[in-house]
Amino acid sequence: MNITLSVNERTQTVQIDGSETLLEMLRNHLGLLGTKEGCTEGECGACSVLVDGQPVHSCIYLAAATEGCQVLTIEGISHGDELSKLQSELINGGGVQCGFCTPGFVVVLTALLKKSSNPSASEIRNALSGNICRCTGYTQIVESVLQLTEGKKTSNKSNLMINGSMS
Amino acid sequence: MIGASVVRSDAFVKVTGRAVYGVDYQEINMLHGFLLRSPVAAGRVIKLDISIALGMDGVQSILTAKDQPSEMAGWVLREQRLFASEELRYEGEPIALVIAKTYDEAKAAASSILLEIDEWKGVDLVAASTTNARIIHKNWKSYVPTAGPNADYPRDGNLACETKSNAVGVDVAFGQATKIIEDKFCSNRQYQAYLEPKSAVATYVNGQFTIHTASQHPFNVRERVSQFLGVRISSVRVIGKTIGGGFGGKLDAALEPYAALAAKVTGSPVKIMNTRTEDILTCPSRENALITIRTALNAAGEMIGRDVVVDMDNGAYSTEMPWLASLPLHILGAIYEIDGPTRITSRLWYTNTAPTGAFRGVGGTYLYMALERHIDNIANSIGMDRLEFRLRHLIDDGAVSHVGQILPDAGILREGFNEIQKVVSWEETVANLKPFQGVGIASGFWLTNPMPGQATVKLNEDGTVSVITGATENGSGAVAMGVRQIVAQGLGVDVNDVSVSMPDTDISSYDAGSQGSRTTHIVGRAALNASTEVKRQILEQASNLLEVDAADLQISNSLISVVGSPSISVSLGEVATNALWAVGPITATSSYTTPPISFDPGCASGLLFPTFPTPTYHVHLAVVEVDPVTGGVKILRYVVVQEVGKAINPDAVRGQIQGAVAQGVGLTLYESLRIGKDCRYLERTLENYRLPIALDVPDVEIRLMEHPDECGPFGAKGAAEPAIVFVPAAILNAVSHAIGRNVTSIPLTPECVLDLIERES
Repeated sequence: MNITLSVNERTQTVQIDGSETLLEMLRNHLGLLGTKEGCTEGECGACSVLVDGQPVHSCIYLAAATEGCQVLTIEGISHGDELSKLQSELINGGGVQCGFCTPGFVVVLTALLKKSSNPSASEIRNALSGNICRCTGYTQIVESVLQLTEGKKTSNKSNLMINGSMS
Repeated sequence: MIGASVVRSDAFVKVTGRAVYGVDYQEINMLHGFLLRSPVAAGRVIKLDISIALGMDGVQSILTAKDQPSEMAGWVLREQRLFASEELRYEGEPIALVIAKTYDEAKAAASSILLEIDEWKGVDLVAASTTNARIIHKNWKSYVPTAGPNADYPRDGNLACETKSNAVGVDVAFGQATKIIEDKFCSNRQYQAYLEPKSAVATYVNGQFTIHTASQHPFNVRERVSQFLGVRISSVRVIGKTIGGGFGGKLDAALEPYAALAAKVTGSPVKIMNTRTEDILTCPSRENALITIRTALNAAGEMIGRDVVVDMDNGAYSTEMPWLASLPLHILGAIYEIDGPTRITSRLWYTNTAPTGAFRGVGGTYLYMALERHIDNIANSIGMDRLEFRLRHLIDDGAVSHVGQILPDAGILREGFNEIQKVVSWEETVANLKPFQGVGIASGFWLTNPMPGQATVKLNEDGTVSVITGATENGSGAVAMGVRQIVAQGLGVDVNDVSVSMPDTDISSYDAGSQGSRTTHIVGRAALNASTEVKRQILEQASNLLEVDAADLQISNSLISVVGSPSISVSLGEVATNALWAVGPITATSSYTTPPISFDPGCASGLLFPTFPTPTYHVHLAVVEVDPVTGGVKILRYVVVQEVGKAINPDAVRGQIQGAVAQGVGLTLYESLRIGKDCRYLERTLENYRLPIALDVPDVEIRLMEHPDECGPFGAKGAAEPAIVFVPAAILNAVSHAIGRNVTSIPLTPECVLDLIERES
């Protein structure tokens, strides 16, 4: 079957199988490899993309259901070499380690920041409850968002001292 | 540069989704493989009929035991072949490989292979260690260690390795005891649960295999592929891709040898990817273990002897576990002094379960849990405050470990206890606890993996610097930040002008992989030595160009200038270009491995992993609150005091500690990978294997202590691995304190907590 949708602000018609997932369509038909497959059961969030602004787990979302929709993937967040502010903060704040979960986190946090310009730490953690990061322990990801919205990083950095002094 | 935050070199590609991970890599005209795996934990193949599957759409070839080379392979012991030929030893063991044009076609054909099995009752850890169970490897005597027949070690039937200290007088001490404290502990398996499942792509051209894989240890993969396929190592080239997490689970080869054989048979590139369930079933998870620890006390409450038995689950094949069987001897006789002998027996058992292996902190997690819970119980039994008991028995500078290793700076432990008291006052915290709240403390030492590494540093004609190394960036930043910072500091160049290669076994010299916090320490040392030599060459060339003595020159901001006369200068680019035609390109290579450390070879038998090189010291403290209705454990505060030598990048060290504590919280409270009665895992997806999410993990309060190591680059020791090691100990001590029960097993799920609370104390 053919479906027509917008992917990263470009309208496309894609020939798919009716049972294909959105993740399969993105990776296998459109070559958008930034969206990752971690579990194929909607648990880890590495495959997160936005459909009409809402985060979805693309590994359990039928591609056919995106007919006429606006899909935004990690490839649509930055423009050329220009990163979004969130992406820059994640880098500066230590929010990226192995990076396999990072596209999913970027997409979900982008949606959060669109809804709420000044989320609290617990709102951020709640928004991320469908995304697993095995490397960072989440703190530096949460701090990166707070730094972006409130410049809060300095207060949280008191969690690290070296030889009795603030780092 | 040292001690500063820098932007990781892989940050841009990772944050934009452009990094090419193992699962993203493709070749033109690539075929896909899918493995038919054993559905049972134990049994015998009666019938394997591939004829229907061979005729299915897209199928190119199906490989079985008939197609495999005769060589045996293995990291420590050569005991495995690619496919089970008759006997099946664990669920998930490969039986056949279908190669087809698409992944879906390969998978469909694999399910059309006719397989008949005579299923046997599986042997689990309890059966192996306590009964006269069926021998899992009937030919165990014929297996040869990878290091050669002279490197054999104590093995016997289902006993895959026995490591035992030669202690004298232990039974006498127990005979004299007025009180014996005995504890039994149990630790379940833990799955690494890296976000990127394993995969491999292989090509074969004119006798040469090329493997593209996201491996923590490409040189190990090279060796394993060469073993399984019966070719020399130089016939195998392993090219590392970006790694989506590993934590020890990607140190050994997994799918690579299968992809290699498939590429040879078909003549086409072949890719194999694990589903998440295949990955869980076959990943070398942290081993489950049973620990019995007994301490003899005299009338004065002094510890006069200790006897320990640790039974570890090896799974069906040995991977690197025989080395790790030495760990109990390092840990269970350490940290707190005993006035008497200690005997430690460590037994590694073959079972009909997936082979176990390294997961960050390896067995240290449950060994420190056992030691520190036991110390709490001893202190409680003699009515002494748990912190005071520890401080009274803490080892000091120059302590000699159970295996005879001297620890010159073990007094750092006491500094750690002082440091943690500055963050959380023990007395005040204990005094102010509410009902169902508790506090726990744990301490110990950990090693920096000593294995070899190498780096080549070269100056480019534009004045930038490239580092070529086999080191792998597993996400920690040890390569993407640490090695670059060390080279930048060593040369006096901008860190953004330093790049590091991806690993490629044909290009760099040997590297022992990202394990045991070794990369910053070992590869950093090699890179710093190479940088020092490159700097010498730069100054020599600049000296000729500027006609100034090299001793009067300095490098900063990519310029070589005369000290005191900065206007007389030449750029690094000019020096590099001039050097090409004067002496050849400016470059240097250096290697490093931690020099051997002395120990007492007569102290034990089977001690394959004899010392804890470049030790670091740690104290952890947890304050918890238990919900007596739900059984949930909430961590109110978590404090880590860690000695790191020198923090090359404090933000990165913090990320490692925070991440390690999160994994430790998962290990202690959530992550249950249970082995069922049929020896198959009960948890088989991420839906029921419960990983910590953002709502579960505390913000860790971290205090770093720096005692520079004379060999480490700028004093750095290992920093990334150890914070997980002490988490089960600290949390279990806190929960035991909170509910007044002796908590002895992990994971401590809410059901376990409720069960303990309901029991009589």
